[in-house]
Amino acid sequence: MAKNLSGDLQVASANRLVDGMVVWLDDAGQWTDRLEHAAIARDPRGAEILLERARAESFTVVDPFLVAVSEDDAGVIEPLSLREKIRASGLTFDAIAAEAVRYA
Amino acid sequence: MPDTHFYRYDDYDRTLVAERVDQFRDQVRRRIAGELTEEQFKPLRLTNGLYLQLHAYMLRIAIPYGTLASHQLRKLAEISRKYDRGYGHFTTRQNLQLNWIKLEDAPDALAALAEVDMHAMQTSGNCIRNVTADHFAGAAIDEIEDPRIWCEIVRQWSTLHPEFSFLPRKFKIAITGSPNDRAAVRVHDIGLRLWRNEQGEVGFEVIVGGGLGRTPMIGKTLREFLPRDELLAYLEATLRVYNRYGRRDNLYKARIKILVHEIGAEKMREEVEAEYASIRDSALRLPAETIEAIAEQFAPPVLAERPAISGQVEAERLSNPEFALWLKSNVAPHRVQGHAIVTASLKPAGSPPGDASAAQMDGVADIADAYSQGEIRVSHEQNLIFPHVALDDLPKVYKSLAALGFAEANVGKITDIIACPGLDYCALANARSIPVAQRISTHFAGLAQQHDIGDLKIKISGCINACGHHHVGHIGILGVDKNGVELYQLSLGGDVDFGKTAIGTILGPAVTADKVVEAVDALVATYLDTRSAGERFVDTYRRVGAKPFKERVYAAV
Repeated sequence: MAKNLSGDLQVASANRLVDGMVVWLDDAGQWTDRLEHAAIARDPRGAEILLERARAESFTVVDPFLVAVSEDDAGVIEPLSLREKIRASGLTFDAIAAEAVRYA
Repeated sequence: MPDTHFYRYDDYDRTLVAERVDQFRDQVRRRIAGELTEEQFKPLRLTNGLYLQLHAYMLRIAIPYGTLASHQLRKLAEISRKYDRGYGHFTTRQNLQLNWIKLEDAPDALAALAEVDMHAMQTSGNCIRNVTADHFAGAAIDEIEDPRIWCEIVRQWSTLHPEFSFLPRKFKIAITGSPNDRAAVRVHDIGLRLWRNEQGEVGFEVIVGGGLGRTPMIGKTLREFLPRDELLAYLEATLRVYNRYGRRDNLYKARIKILVHEIGAEKMREEVEAEYASIRDSALRLPAETIEAIAEQFAPPVLAERPAISGQVEAERLSNPEFALWLKSNVAPHRVQGHAIVTASLKPAGSPPGDASAAQMDGVADIADAYSQGEIRVSHEQNLIFPHVALDDLPKVYKSLAALGFAEANVGKITDIIACPGLDYCALANARSIPVAQRISTHFAGLAQQHDIGDLKIKISGCINACGHHHVGHIGILGVDKNGVELYQLSLGGDVDFGKTAIGTILGPAVTADKVVEAVDALVATYLDTRSAGERFVDTYRRVGAKPFKERVYAAV
């Protein structure tokens, strides 16, 4: 499935103030923990505006910033960098929490 | 509080910690209410050990000189269960990190810590950080004096020290009381080594300007022998010189190692000695009764001498080969006959190094109560130690640890890997560390194979800040990011053994993540084919050099 990997597509992300969880800004100007709901800027001007909106809505989050994403034909977006993929998807291994069950 | 064989908080300590919790509670309230900006709040939370990482806040809890009582470890388990996700990560600085703390819960977590005389102060920021020590302190057979007495004195002197709360950069002190350095003192901003001179007096070798990170340096000895009661004056003088001349214009050149490197050890010594001369007879010279009062709190447990050989141990050794291997790698001699020091391996095959679940922490606390005078130590190699175990109890300790998954007979072996949290957690990292450690650990999981390979220290960092101490690994692995791809740079020959401390040498081009295990396998195969009798991996490397290792690795990957 073709992906737009140009780096032109960007979403705005931050960490939620009260718990640090990763969030993205949606089209309604709300912070969501679901990447698929993130508002997408499709050109540099749009990205500037998105970041400004994110900063304006930063009362409940910490340090908004832009994240380059790809988008496939089905509209599924994914961060380009490994760091942002990990922020979006979580740990790349099973944390010991699973072990906690085993040794409980 | 239960009785312990180490320092017990007095009212002054408790008031200080309680006041700090109250202050932070109010600061968090004001931040959440929008009365403080992040710019205003960030230094306040960092001062209390609260970082914001990739996915969440991370609370770094100070474990002074790596010493814990069982009730403190149970409290850490309770906090991790109640305010985090039921596990924690023991770090290379003998601290504990909880990776999923909520800001709104952080004051309650700190209040819970205060209940057991613990806190998270000075685990961040440009101050004197938690002082680290030999994890065998007070039990080691080769020990001259318990270094924790001096760690505690330094802790009291440095806690919220107004002159040293805004240094050019963070400052780490490590102290060892044994000739076998288990505290890596030559790679700290200040390393202190207790030793006995020809007159029979015990004093400190003062080593300054070591460190890892972007610019690894081995510390220089500024003083061969410093009388013990002059320690604080000498430290104060050293910190003053650093505070005055350390570079504040460049983050990457701000550590004391850069200052020592730039002005030279001789000039540094002149400056420190001049400052020291002006303050050596001040209130910083410790009265004997002050030292004695703190030393008394570290009085070792009274352990009756027992037979040097235990029938139970010998019987189990003969019937259980894994126990026999565990005795060889995880059990060290104790200063009192008939006892031993046991290392619980937090590196079971394929697991994240240094991680323990709340249930496992509780289990370790139970073992400490039953068999080790209620004491636990955290090692900078990310394992937990039972310092005072009777030989007869070793089979029971082994069995209890096996039930927790912490009885892997791999201490000092190839799977006893040090690894930082890496890109899975850390906001600074460029590449992942834990999954690499897991794959190496899984590949070399066979205990017989590990013991055949012998002592081999692999240390992995996910960025140049070197929290995984890769520079001093026999095999060091540094994760780097190149155009969005994780690559791993291998180095060989690093060491922290006293007298042999060395920074590893980069082997060649970095390898891709999927080739790291093959590369390590090639290094090990080269060693096995080349070693002489009795040689460890690092000894063989020193003898034959990098060439055969390099050829085999790059033929394999």
